[in-house]
Amino acid sequence: MQKLKFQHFFYILTISVAVIMSSCIKDVDFDQADDLTLTPVITSSIVYAEVEASRFSENGMELETVTDSLANIEIFENDFIIDNLVRAELVFEATNSINRTFGLQIDFLNAVDELEHTLSFDASPSPTGNTIVTTYTEVFEDMSLDALKMKTKMAVTLRLYPSNDGSSLDENALGNIILKSKGLFYFSVSP
Amino acid sequence: MKYKRHTFLLFIFVMYFGFSQNKQILFGFNEIPQSVLLNPSTTLDNDWYMGFPLLSHFHFNFGSSGVSAFDIFADDGRDFNTKLQNVVFRLGDDDFFTANQQLEIFSGGFSFGNSIEKDRYLSFGMYIETDAIAYYPKDYAILAFEGNANNLGRSFDLSDLNAKGEVLSVFHIGVTKKVNDKLSIGGRAKIYSSILNVNSTNNSGSFTTREGSNNLLEHTFNLDVSVQTSGISSLANGNTDASEAIKTLRKRMLLGGNLGLGLDFGFTYNDSDQLTFEGSLLDFGFIRHTKDLENYSINGTYVFEGFNPLFPEVGEGQTPEEYWNVVADEFEDLFEIDSTISKYTTWRPLKLNLAARYKFGKKKDKECNCLSGNDDYLNAIGGQLYAVSRPRAPQLALTAFYYRRLFEGLRIKATYTIDSFSYRNVGLGVSADIGFVNFYLLADNLLDYQNLAKARSASLQFGLNLVFKNDK
Repeated sequence: MQKLKFQHFFYILTISVAVIMSSCIKDVDFDQADDLTLTPVITSSIVYAEVEASRFSENGMELETVTDSLANIEIFENDFIIDNLVRAELVFEATNSINRTFGLQIDFLNAVDELEHTLSFDASPSPTGNTIVTTYTEVFEDMSLDALKMKTKMAVTLRLYPSNDGSSLDENALGNIILKSKGLFYFSVSP
Repeated sequence: MKYKRHTFLLFIFVMYFGFSQNKQILFGFNEIPQSVLLNPSTTLDNDWYMGFPLLSHFHFNFGSSGVSAFDIFADDGRDFNTKLQNVVFRLGDDDFFTANQQLEIFSGGFSFGNSIEKDRYLSFGMYIETDAIAYYPKDYAILAFEGNANNLGRSFDLSDLNAKGEVLSVFHIGVTKKVNDKLSIGGRAKIYSSILNVNSTNNSGSFTTREGSNNLLEHTFNLDVSVQTSGISSLANGNTDASEAIKTLRKRMLLGGNLGLGLDFGFTYNDSDQLTFEGSLLDFGFIRHTKDLENYSINGTYVFEGFNPLFPEVGEGQTPEEYWNVVADEFEDLFEIDSTISKYTTWRPLKLNLAARYKFGKKKDKECNCLSGNDDYLNAIGGQLYAVSRPRAPQLALTAFYYRRLFEGLRIKATYTIDSFSYRNVGLGVSADIGFVNFYLLADNLLDYQNLAKARSASLQFGLNLVFKNDK
C-alpha cells in the first residue's frame, strides 16, 4: 500500500483546517437580545373579610364604621417592583345580603402616615336578603401608580350608611357582607 | 410493591446520572490512541505512544435538543420578543442544553506481556473535563413570560429546574488484555478530582393560583428547591485575588479537589476476521463532595388567600399588627433561603457504547500474498449505539459508519447519526500518520457547518500524538 507522504499529510492538515475555518455563523443578530422585554401579569389575592350584620351592633348601639389597617407592607419597597411595575388594577367584589348600603374605603398611607391615595365604593343594599354583588376596579397608572408604590400601610374601612327608614342593626340582624379582592400587576421588564 | 421499589431505585439511579457527549467518530477508530478511552479493550496497533502534552486530545461539543441560535436571533426583521415567545412555548421541559469540553494534559501507553507477541497494553493519562447540562425550565420561563394571571389553575412545576455543571480533572490508568484470538477485555481505573461543581437536579413542588373560596384567588406554594455547590464558595466570596485563585485551581486539578473514583469496562470480540462486536461501559463512578461546600434550599408549604382584616371593633384576640406580622413571617419563612454545608455525592454520567463492524475488500497486491491478516481489509461498515444516563432519562444515539484506509497512514471514517439533536448528523474524521506523528481531526454535523447558528449541535475533536511501531 502506498505510504503517506509528508506532502499529503500537509495537504490533509490544510484542508482540515480550512473546513473548520470555513464554518461560520451568519444571518443572526445577537444584539436583538437588547430588545428583550418581558411583560408578565401577576395576580394576587389581597384582602378579604366577612362581617355578620349582628356584628355592627354593640351594646344595643349601631357602629358607624369598622376600620383595620395593615402596616409595614414592604413589598412595594422592592426595587424590582419600583422599577418594573407599569400598571396595577385592584379588583373588589362585595357581596351584600343586608338591607343597608355599605361604603368601603381603602386608604394607602406612606411611611410617615401621610395619605397617598384613597379609593372607595358603595356596596348596594339587599332589600330582600338575597345576595347583591357589587364589583369595583381601581386602575393605577402614572401618578396613582407612584402613590401605590409609596404605600407602606393600608387602612380598610367599612362604613354603614344610615338606613332610609331609621331602623338599625341589632344583635339579631340577619345577613352579612363579604368582601373579596385581588390585584393584577402588569410588569414590563427590560433587562 | 417490590417492583415499585425497584422502579424507584432505578429512577433515583437515573436521576443522578448526568450527561456527556457521544464521540461516535472516535469510537473504534483504532489508529487514534485516544480511542482506547472509549473502549478499554481496544487493541492499539502500536508498541508505544505518547500524546503531545496539551495537544493530544481536544474535544468540544455543544447541543441543544429543541432550538438553535437561529430560531431566536435570526436577522429576519421579525420582532425578537415574538420569536422568543414562540420558542418559550414550543420547547418542552425535556428539551435540554449541553456543553462538554475535554483537554488532555498528557497521555501515553505501551504494549507488554510475556509472550513474543505482546498481549497486553497499558495506557494512562490525565485530562480536564467541563460538563454542563440544563433542562429547559419551561414552567419558570412561562411564569416569567406571562405571569400567573392568565394561568389560573395551572400548576407551575418547580422540578422543571434541573441543571448541573462541573469542572474536573481525571487521572486514569487502564489495561487491555487479549484473552484469546477472539476476545479482548479491558478495564480502566479513574480518579476524579472535582474542581467546581453545581448541582440542582432534585427539585420538586409547585406554585398554583386558582379561584379561592374565601377570596377571589387562592395561591398554593409547595416549594422544595435546592442547589448544591462545591468549590465555588471560596472563590466567589471574600477577597481571593486572581493569582490566589489560580493557585487553588491548580491544586484541585492535581488531586486537591473533591475526590471520586470511577471504572471503565470493555470487550472486543472478533467473531471472524471480518466481523467484530464490541462494547464498553464508561465512567461508572462518583465524586464525594466534602470540601468548600455551599448548599442552598427553599422549602415550605403555604396556602395564601389574602389578608383578612380583623376589624378590632368586632373581633378579639390578636391585634391587627400581630396578625400582619404572622402573615409576613410565614411568607418570610417560606422564601427564606437556607444555606447549609452538607456533604453530597454526585454520580458521573454513565456511558454505554455498543458496536458491530464488518470489514471487507482486501487490498489487491499481486506481488505478494504472504500477508493476509486482518489488516488487509480496506473497508469497514457498521453500526454503533451510544447511550448516556441523564438526570431525566437516558439519551440515545444511533450511528452508521463507513471506514476506509486510503493510504498506509491515512484513514477516514464517515458517520451518520440520529440523536436527540438531529436526524441527519453527518460526521467525518481523518487520522494521518507521517513518520511517528499521528494527527487526527474529527467533526460532526458537517451539513450545518455553512451556518453553525442553525446547528443544534456540533462537536469537534483533534489531537497530535507520537506513535511508535516496531514494524516488520
